[in-house]
Amino acid sequence: MKAKKKEFFLVRWFKRCVLGDRSELSTEEEERIQTPMRAMVASFVHKPLAMIGLIVFLAIFVFVLVGPKFWPLDLSEQDASLTNLPPSSDMMKVPDAMLKAGIADIASGNTYGLGTDANGQLYIWGHTKITDKIDIADIPQEVHDADLVYIAAGTDHAVAVAEDGQVYVWGNTRLQQDKFSTDMTKAMKKGGEDWDVIQLEASNQFSAIVCSDGNLYLWGNGNMADIKIRSKYQGNIAKVALTENEYICLLTDGTVAYTGYKDKNSSFAKIPAQLKGKTVVDIASTSKSVAAITEDGEIVVWGNATKGEDAVPELASKPVHLYGGRYHYTALLENGDVVSWGDNKYRQIDVPDEVQAADNITAIYVSNYQNYALADDGQLYTWGLKGFTLGTDGLGRDMLTRIVNGGRVTMTVGAISVIIATILGVLFGGIAGYFGGTLDIVIMRVAEIVGGLPFIPFAMILSAVIGTRLDPTQRMYLIMVVLGVLSWVPTCRLVRAQILAQREMEYVTAAKAMGIREGTIVFRHILPNVISLLIVSMTLDFATCMLTESTLSYLGFGIPLPTPTWGNLLNGANNSIVIQQYWWQWVFPAAIFGICTICINLIGDGLRDALDPKALER
Amino acid sequence: MGKYIAKRIGYMALVFLIVSFLMYALYNLIPSDPARAQLEAQKQGLRPEEYERMYQQLREQMGLDDPMVIRYARWMGLWPDVEGSGFNGLLQGNFGYSEFFKQDVIEVIKAPMSNTIFINIFSTILALGITIPLGIYCAVHKGRKIDNGVQVVTMLGYSLPIYIIALIFMFFFCVHWRIFPISGTKTAGAIYASQWDEFIDMLYHVTLPVIVMTFASLGGMTRYVRSAMIDALSMDYIRTARAKGLKEKVVIYSHAWRNALLPIVTSIIGWFISIFSGSVIVENTFSLNGMGKLYWTGLNNLDFELVLAIQMFYTVVSLIGSLVMDISYGLVDPRVRVDK
Repeated sequence: MKAKKKEFFLVRWFKRCVLGDRSELSTEEEERIQTPMRAMVASFVHKPLAMIGLIVFLAIFVFVLVGPKFWPLDLSEQDASLTNLPPSSDMMKVPDAMLKAGIADIASGNTYGLGTDANGQLYIWGHTKITDKIDIADIPQEVHDADLVYIAAGTDHAVAVAEDGQVYVWGNTRLQQDKFSTDMTKAMKKGGEDWDVIQLEASNQFSAIVCSDGNLYLWGNGNMADIKIRSKYQGNIAKVALTENEYICLLTDGTVAYTGYKDKNSSFAKIPAQLKGKTVVDIASTSKSVAAITEDGEIVVWGNATKGEDAVPELASKPVHLYGGRYHYTALLENGDVVSWGDNKYRQIDVPDEVQAADNITAIYVSNYQNYALADDGQLYTWGLKGFTLGTDGLGRDMLTRIVNGGRVTMTVGAISVIIATILGVLFGGIAGYFGGTLDIVIMRVAEIVGGLPFIPFAMILSAVIGTRLDPTQRMYLIMVVLGVLSWVPTCRLVRAQILAQREMEYVTAAKAMGIREGTIVFRHILPNVISLLIVSMTLDFATCMLTESTLSYLGFGIPLPTPTWGNLLNGANNSIVIQQYWWQWVFPAAIFGICTICINLIGDGLRDALDPKALER
Repeated sequence: MGKYIAKRIGYMALVFLIVSFLMYALYNLIPSDPARAQLEAQKQGLRPEEYERMYQQLREQMGLDDPMVIRYARWMGLWPDVEGSGFNGLLQGNFGYSEFFKQDVIEVIKAPMSNTIFINIFSTILALGITIPLGIYCAVHKGRKIDNGVQVVTMLGYSLPIYIIALIFMFFFCVHWRIFPISGTKTAGAIYASQWDEFIDMLYHVTLPVIVMTFASLGGMTRYVRSAMIDALSMDYIRTARAKGLKEKVVIYSHAWRNALLPIVTSIIGWFISIFSGSVIVENTFSLNGMGKLYWTGLNNLDFELVLAIQMFYTVVSLIGSLVMDISYGLVDPRVRVDK
């Protein structure tokens, strides 16, 4: 017989599955005895359900293996301003009607955007439901009716100034966000010269207005923020920049000053020496830092710049305007270039190429995680946080990142536990089956005890008792070992029974008669007959171990938070608020995990059927 | 048979002792000092040397300085207690004292135990009542559409973790349709006119957990029954029975079913034990006052006498389960002679 060239087995599988052309075997070839393994594979690839299971599972497997490269896990990640967001991608989706009418102003909250068109009409987009009760999209009718010139978006409130100087506040107003200060009310009443608004800003529960006479008016939640101004500065204010709870001002004489009362402990109050004697053209702020441009084009950043806000890149030309997001800055340069730097978690600083190419940018609106750049032909470019594909959890963490990384942890734990269980099972089963006698009895009694214990309570106890003294990483290893040590029994029984059965087979007798060494008989003759069964049991054990790990984590006795697993993502999901309002927090992890276990079971069933010729009748 | 059972029970007792000793040893790994914990409240009012003296006295009273084997034997009730007045341990019905609940363990576990047993037995009966007829039906109508449909549903049932099933059921029944309460065993603040009302209220609260547990166990059991029945139906004696012209009902229920029973009994017992494991999850998900929830609370608060007692309960349940399994082999199938 001519030896046929063998292809790689995956290639052969693929050919059989997709092309479906099975070359007719010659009688001679057909009569060749196939190993159980090959027979199993041949039978398996013709089971559609099992193959679907295999393909889907492999897809998920590759996804969670490769995924963490694209969505890296940051264990310390949390962001109070992005909690419990539903899946969305419309945070920068400006309404078409507004684009058509011509954009006058854009203000961006954490998750929503506000805009006015040339006619003073107000538009809103993105996720506007700040809490269950507060929805920024509940805009009072009078605001719609008014001709708006300035808008600003705070953490949970929005402010607008109409052409007639009227100030509107909506959203959360329970923390005095709409309570104007007395001198402000006075100025508003006087109107005219005294109330000519040139800048409107809003931040975390407080807002600010600068008037053309150089007066600054601040109002809002004074418990959190510095909303007072020293009277000596009043009348000299040119521009204000609000951080999360404080603010700095650009004065009319071109210097920068901290004009509030909380200047003792504030890092913003320490104006850097580089600014001394220089005229500042523009200032901007992120939530924890402030920045200024001097007239000779230098950008100086101070405050608590922890996320790279102070890493100003090399600029091609002089910066003209500076804008601050939550953790990043964007600058418009003299030559029309736009540069962003700072935190890039949501790609806030990846300025699109179109913006770089365009030299007709007229206005840039930056706040929080969003950037909008408007060209003079009405084209609007956006970059930054579009939304979260799968929403966020209660601590503002991206669910997709957690699911991908959780999957990797769950699968790793499952795989390692199965390997431990299989090694133990094969070892003990092999010893018991091969040597027999007293050793057999002892091992099987131990197996009986271990196998008889209720699994989950026992694993919980081991995890609780030993785990108290371990750090999270060690605890992860502990869980692997515990699962492995508790689930070797079925494998042990299987191997023992197989070895007992195979030992009496004729081929073993024949091998013995031929004088083949004992070790060779066990490994070359018996093992190939057992290994196919072993693979089936490993597949099913893998599902079981994943299930158990996630169950333990769900109960809080497995992998501890903040390391995500598919189990502890669902930890805390069993209350009506999460189930109903934050459905994305449990539906997605549950769905991917459910699909995964179903697939493994389909594969396992397929393999089992493929092994057992009798099963074909079923 | 009697001799066999006696032998089995002896073996069970041995296993119980081994497991309980291992458990006890495991707890001793935890760095805890009950004597210090008890004195903590008075520590402020005492002078250091007085405190030290009382501490040593208490340690002696509690027998903390004795070797672990002796402490274990005392706890188990195989060794006279510290005063030497007699045996007072697990075997005498003293389950210890719960540090967390400040009560005797036996008092703490009374109500949860009855809840758990009630729920588990209820869902066992329900599950068997559904799975056995369903499995037989599917086996007889093998390959038809209805069989394939059931196969898919059972696949879901045994693949999905029980807490995901619970969450899905909660979403529909508690949140969406608001048919059942989401947690607890009784309506908050309810005053009952009679015991019957109280019982009805409890029944109302445990309905959904029971449904969830039943649904979760449907999958595996139905498949077992189905495959055992298919095996039995493919035997030669079935063909003979049919050839004799027996009614199909007699063939299925008398000839096939009785032969399929043996593998089914094996799985029923194993599954009954796993139900107790599963109830840990269900009770926690639904905040039911049961053994599983108590176990969880105890473990979280490191209340080890309580946890140890409940662990012993689980061990006894599983040991009795395996005994019942062995005995029932003989009852179900006279060919299996267990006493040999």
